[in-house]
Amino acid sequence: MTEPAVLIIGGGISGIQASLDLASRGIKVYLVEKSPSIGGRMAQLDKTFPTLDCSICILAPKMIECSHHSDIQLLTYSEVKEVSGSAGDFTVKVLRKPRYVDEKKCTGCGICIEHCPVEVPNEFDEKLGMRKAIYMPFPQAVPRVVTVDKDNCLECGLCESVCQAKAVDLGQEPEEVSLKVGAIVVAVGFDLFNPSEIPAYGYGRYKNVITALELERLLCASGPTGGHLVRLSDGRIPKKIAFVQCVGSRDIRFGNTYCSSICCKYSAKDAVLVKEHHPDAHVSIFYIDLRAFGRGFQEFINRAKSEFGIRFIRASPGEIIEEHATKNLSIWYEDTVAGSIEKLVFDLVVLCPALVPRTDAKELAKVLGIEVDKYGFFRASDNITSPVDTTVPGIFACGYCLGPKTGDIPDSIMQGSATAARVAEVLMEG
Amino acid sequence: MKYAFFLGCLIPARELSYETSVRKVLPALGIQLVDMKGTNCCAPFSIQSLNYASWLALAARNLCIAEEMGLDILTLCNDCYESLLMVNTILKQNTKLKNRVNEILSEVGKEFKGKTDVKHLVDVLYEDVGVDKLKNAVKEPLTKMRVATQPGCHLTKPKRLHLGFIKEFGAFDELVRATGAETVDYDRREMCCGGPLRDINDELSRSVARQKLMDIKNADVHSIVTVCPFCFLQFDLGQLEIKRHFKEEYNLPVLHFVELLRMAMGMKLEDWEINSHRIPISGILKGRL
Amino acid sequence: MRTVANTPRGRGILSCIQCGRCSGSCPIARLVTEHNPRRLMEMVILGLRSEVLPQGLPWYCLSCFTCLDRCPQGGDVGEVMFAIRNLAVKEGNIPAGVVAQARSLMETGRVVNPVRSILDKRESLGLAEIAPTGVEDVQKILKITALDKLIRSR
Repeated sequence: MTEPAVLIIGGGISGIQASLDLASRGIKVYLVEKSPSIGGRMAQLDKTFPTLDCSICILAPKMIECSHHSDIQLLTYSEVKEVSGSAGDFTVKVLRKPRYVDEKKCTGCGICIEHCPVEVPNEFDEKLGMRKAIYMPFPQAVPRVVTVDKDNCLECGLCESVCQAKAVDLGQEPEEVSLKVGAIVVAVGFDLFNPSEIPAYGYGRYKNVITALELERLLCASGPTGGHLVRLSDGRIPKKIAFVQCVGSRDIRFGNTYCSSICCKYSAKDAVLVKEHHPDAHVSIFYIDLRAFGRGFQEFINRAKSEFGIRFIRASPGEIIEEHATKNLSIWYEDTVAGSIEKLVFDLVVLCPALVPRTDAKELAKVLGIEVDKYGFFRASDNITSPVDTTVPGIFACGYCLGPKTGDIPDSIMQGSATAARVAEVLMEG
Repeated sequence: MKYAFFLGCLIPARELSYETSVRKVLPALGIQLVDMKGTNCCAPFSIQSLNYASWLALAARNLCIAEEMGLDILTLCNDCYESLLMVNTILKQNTKLKNRVNEILSEVGKEFKGKTDVKHLVDVLYEDVGVDKLKNAVKEPLTKMRVATQPGCHLTKPKRLHLGFIKEFGAFDELVRATGAETVDYDRREMCCGGPLRDINDELSRSVARQKLMDIKNADVHSIVTVCPFCFLQFDLGQLEIKRHFKEEYNLPVLHFVELLRMAMGMKLEDWEINSHRIPISGILKGRL
Repeated sequence: MRTVANTPRGRGILSCIQCGRCSGSCPIARLVTEHNPRRLMEMVILGLRSEVLPQGLPWYCLSCFTCLDRCPQGGDVGEVMFAIRNLAVKEGNIPAGVVAQARSLMETGRVVNPVRSILDKRESLGLAEIAPTGVEDVQKILKITALDKLIRSR
């Protein structure tokens, strides 16, 4: 007897797409998301490439659809703890972590947030900005409820006292939910390689060396600087910005020998966004190869060069050294086309790190009983003929947790839909 | 713990205070040193550049002597360390090469068996003695002393080639901090001292050392601390050479790490040892800042 | 390129993607325009034997291994430099300083020898005599590897 329901782990764009496709066919979807809100990486981005559409503007309608759809049940701030059974009949134990707020009562008004006395770094802003101990991760969060970070909460009770809806419940307990589903989809996405593993680039030691994701938060109007691109060391507007490609990608020293697929594309996009913010800025991109494949991308790079005057330098930098007084950064490199060793000084350096499996991916793979490949991404049962099937029948995967394919948003959406079709096959067998 | 003590060429010839300090400090920490007899040069950069077979055979001959003693090798010099460690690793992993080298070594009555390991002073202090034991041995902590550590290239980088990429070599700094001194970060800390080109291209060798001294000077330290006699030479005697050629003075005292350790353990340096430093160190000894 | 690739230390040349990280890191490349590890790798790949082996190019290298440490593709540039030097030496290209060290090795088994004043100092301090080296063994080894003839001829 096939359970006519599906569990989708991971509420990023790929998981959201799979959820919507399946729910629209009347299939019951349990969408489990570890963080307090669905949305994933796409919610963190400012604009997408190559069209420069506002990322959250495209994503939010889908997020809202998920929350309103009668056949989708959102289990946010939850984790999958145990899986048993087989295709057609899985039993899944999901741990609903206590957010110390009653989801049914909270209206998302935010008064509690104003009153909370505790400030901690905001994970959604890549820790560049602050949030309160009771918080909404970002303005368009779905579900639109707050969460209490008990680790940093003082338990002063102020939030509880000002909440008109009486939604705060500081004594809330974790809840274990048992679900019966016919199929499972994993869509947990990626983490960024930590560039401090490359000491020569100074990330972590120098304030003005940041990652591309941190840049996205700085560019984004809902970010820690209100969308004003400024330097983290002194709040000044950067005039010379450098992007460095292949930080950890294509690098055997860290085992990430693959190309992460999207960095050449997104760095050109970010470079253009930087120029749109500060038209007088000088922007340079240090690359080894320019991999702008597919429709629209080479054209975008050409535009970046001709229209926006972005300088593309074929060089992988040797080292980045900070000028202590100004906190500016000197990049030492060889312009491999000219054959000359140079040093250029920048106010801001953006590193494009490799996209790697999430740190909790291995653990999740164990829970599900699926295999990972040598990089730690989930292994497809066959890369060519069944690329969204995992090594366990009935469990499918989509998005970057499968590893770098084309890697961009349309690709993740496509894979989401692909798994939806595969899931439907399994569920129809019963 | 007992080790076959490989002194190399440079230390007994020019840096006696490194040797005397080691002979005082290590036994006090429970490390026994057994002098090796009849060793030849380890085959550093210049000799390695000549030909591959010579390098393997010359280095292996030393490894054989340690094998005959039934001990692992302890060396104080980064170049010796790099050469002996790399050859030891290569011959242990590659049977064909081992057999070819043994063909050569048989002519001098030696056979490489792969039974010894090569350790640097830093390895032995970090792994065998340990930071905690070192801290306990410190009687006069060098608090308020700011030092710039020079780990040196051949201690860390080729090791990564054979033993896997190690992100940052922190052992040396941890050992220095065990003495109570503060290790100060400076730009290009892992950069070479210029030593290998000494006597081959002195101009370049000097220029590289000069860049290091400039970076260290910016960090505002009391002393440079080295674990390799070439780094020591490049910075100590090197400052006089740089003064002559570039008309620049840096006034940066240079200490062997064992000398720092000795000071912290309450074993005073003799006058001749103090005077063997070209850049005066008396200022950092007096009253301990 | 094949010649270099077929030496034990030169295998890395096959992995080079000419990204320039090595030359961007090299302390000598910043001081001397002739020295450029990436360009040297390029010249080997292109087979420009006569522009590499008889020249001074291989001898600027410090063997600091920064290039090797930073190369993302396992190009082992620092090792390839040794392979290039080995080949250059075969063609008789050896700087005077290296010859001097090799000669010292052949005569005493050491590349750095203590002067009289140091030996006296050691005695006065009660330090053990510097153990004699296995110089005869060294000479035998260098004869087998055909180095002694090369060095004596310089």
